[in-house]
Amino acid sequence: MIRNTLFLLLLTALWSCAESDSEAASISDSGSGVGGSLARFTIVGDYLFTVDNNNLHSFDISQASDIRPQESIFVGQGVETIFPLNGFLFLGTQNGMLIYQIRPGGVPEFVSSYQHVISCDPVVANNQYAYVTLRASGCRQAVAGAADLLEIIDISNLNNPQIVASYDMDSPFGLGLDGQTLFLCEGAGGLKVFDVADPQNIRLLHHLTNLNAIDVIPLGGLLLAIGPDRIVQLDYSDLSNIRVVSEISIGV
Amino acid sequence: MNKIYFLLLSGIWLSLLFQSCLDPKLDIPEQSIGLAPIYFEGDWRDIGAEPARPIKELFKIYYKDSIIFAGEALQGIHVIDNTDPFYPEPIKFIRIPGNSDIAIKGNTLYANNLSSLVAIDISDLNDIRVASRVENAFPGQGAPLPDGYIGFFECPDPNMGAIIGWSEKLLKRPQCWR
Repeated sequence: MIRNTLFLLLLTALWSCAESDSEAASISDSGSGVGGSLARFTIVGDYLFTVDNNNLHSFDISQASDIRPQESIFVGQGVETIFPLNGFLFLGTQNGMLIYQIRPGGVPEFVSSYQHVISCDPVVANNQYAYVTLRASGCRQAVAGAADLLEIIDISNLNNPQIVASYDMDSPFGLGLDGQTLFLCEGAGGLKVFDVADPQNIRLLHHLTNLNAIDVIPLGGLLLAIGPDRIVQLDYSDLSNIRVVSEISIGV
Repeated sequence: MNKIYFLLLSGIWLSLLFQSCLDPKLDIPEQSIGLAPIYFEGDWRDIGAEPARPIKELFKIYYKDSIIFAGEALQGIHVIDNTDPFYPEPIKFIRIPGNSDIAIKGNTLYANNLSSLVAIDISDLNDIRVASRVENAFPGQGAPLPDGYIGFFECPDPNMGAIIGWSEKLLKRPQCWR
């Protein structure tokens, strides 16, 4: 029995080797990739948008051999993350979430903002809601009164974002959204998986405590979770049975 | 009368003393996102492909076409073939001094290389080439700290050599802040 199992394992290993040889990694010459919620670079069409501490920059990248800087806009202090959706850019800053619309020529134009107390916070969004984490724990900039929260903001009217609900968290870092499923990194406190179908009453489906998660990328059933000690891939195609697919160790 | 005055002054002095002791901003977090100095000798513009190597300090990841691009803080990008997620296989390391962020369109990787923005052709991972570069696309990266930065940072180590800039990194128990 054991021998059979070993043989099967060996066969599987050989088969996967053969497969990876025949389907050697290649990068398609079309489309853009996807980053995590802590990203400061994002590509929309022919434009690259980046944020640094104070500014939002745009670059025309229609020709890779000739990057053309477009705009550099001062957006305020403490800009941390950028998230693109439907021709809009959502900026996570220490004061709140800023919404910009991408105008022709890759020019970002300010639309609106949702302000909160100073803390550290990335943002992800869908057509109706933006999900913002506010981290006061270990956030040097955080002022008195700052808390560790997940905030859900109604953005169906982008000109007037309205807070819908707020939930206490431990020490939230990055987050990822796939349909009604929200993945939220709690740093050393692990990874939380929520059903956010009802924003007034989100349900915690799982709390994976055995990993230090800083950011995630959901890939339609496969979740990439990263932390300071490893990259973990999780199969979440069955939300009632989230399984570890593989791990890559860091710093060993 | 003098006694009351003295007590009052002592009270003010003590409260001031305690207030500074209790400054909540002196709490050092286990981990936080902040800036780290980039030490470099030689040509920081030199970008190239190297054999795969173990990841030492990870910060951000990017995904395209079943490939994981994992950022080694301030050093470059690990390229990991994830065609079979059960057996992710590191295949290359792209050296980009001072890098913290990337995005990919087609087979061009856009990255910050210290204060420059570079477009890197990665269609052949054995022969990557810088297709173009925008100098000083991200100004204000220089020492001592980027303009207007408030937050934690990795304390500079004078034994590590000259600091050529700062970049974002996941910090463990940072001891310096501004």
